[in-house]
Amino acid sequence: MSEQRTVGIGQMAVCHAPEQIVCLGLGSCVAIILYDPVARIGGVVHVLLPKSPIKCDNEEKYADTGTRKLVKEMINHGVKKERLVAKLVGGAQMFPNLNLAIANIGRENSMTIRNILRELMIRIVAEDLGGNRGRSAYFNTSDGHVTVKTAFEPVKVL
Amino acid sequence: MTDEKAGMVLEVIMEFANIGAGSAATALSSLMDVELMNEVTSCNILPMSKVSDWLGGADQIVAGTYTYLCGDLKSGILVVLPNKSAVTLLEHLTKEKADLAALTEIQKSALKEVGNICLCWYLIAVSKMIDIDMIPAPPDATVDMLGAVLDIPLASLAQKVDTVLAVHTCFKGIDEEFEGYFLMLPEESTLKLILERMAGPRG
Repeated sequence: MSEQRTVGIGQMAVCHAPEQIVCLGLGSCVAIILYDPVARIGGVVHVLLPKSPIKCDNEEKYADTGTRKLVKEMINHGVKKERLVAKLVGGAQMFPNLNLAIANIGRENSMTIRNILRELMIRIVAEDLGGNRGRSAYFNTSDGHVTVKTAFEPVKVL
Repeated sequence: MTDEKAGMVLEVIMEFANIGAGSAATALSSLMDVELMNEVTSCNILPMSKVSDWLGGADQIVAGTYTYLCGDLKSGILVVLPNKSAVTLLEHLTKEKADLAALTEIQKSALKEVGNICLCWYLIAVSKMIDIDMIPAPPDATVDMLGAVLDIPLASLAQKVDTVLAVHTCFKGIDEEFEGYFLMLPEESTLKLILERMAGPRG
């Protein structure tokens, strides 16, 4: 059994093969999973909100600053940016009948991340976004596969 | 905040939540026709990433009903029932077999309504105590992983803070196996207001 790192809300991890990175119970949060298949280094950031304020206390909490910080951190670990591919998991709308502006923050998170990744020229190779089910993502840094588990649906591999 | 002050704040908030949860448990217990006991409220100041761990792990399946207060007091409030208790509750109310993976419309609606009743009783009790009107948004319920259920409540606070004050009151059936908890996630300004009102002009 290889080692496993759990990444909670507003946290980030960069790991070398064969470690596994896990995000449990993603609702409207999104796990941005980046992988360099040559260096076999993977990174995950678990973001909660789309856009950071000007004065930002915790960059990993926000989709825009979190994604940028993860890419920078991975480059520090010896990853080539051109080789990075992205997989996205989460962004659900957990309470579809809730009458609050924040109820569909998952969609905003997803949109923001797509834009940032386009800007950084990182290709999204797979995603499991939206809907109204929570997900858990298990990212294997040996082969870059992401196993997505939902509460009542069959397991998916991205 | 000094340790002493933090201790005082936690104590006052726990008292506040106890009264709310006590009233909600009474409502739930007459609805369910079982005797419910409130366990002592626990209260903790935690970083966002640790809240679901504190409540027993992000991947456990729960039924959660959430609402948000949007009057003078701003706080998220949740009623959380673990998997088994939610099934017990639904089977008792709808008199048909309940499967959380495939809830019928009636069962979904029952779940939401029960959450609604509990939350309202919670609010009635505490709003009387501190004499502030509380206006909840219409609640919504879902059955899913705890971490996912908590995302929206946390996101509504996260814009301003990194750590949250979580107030947790557990209830348990005396003879039947039935349990769950209330969770309150107040904003900082709300916390201040509660403290002021709870301290009152008495002293």
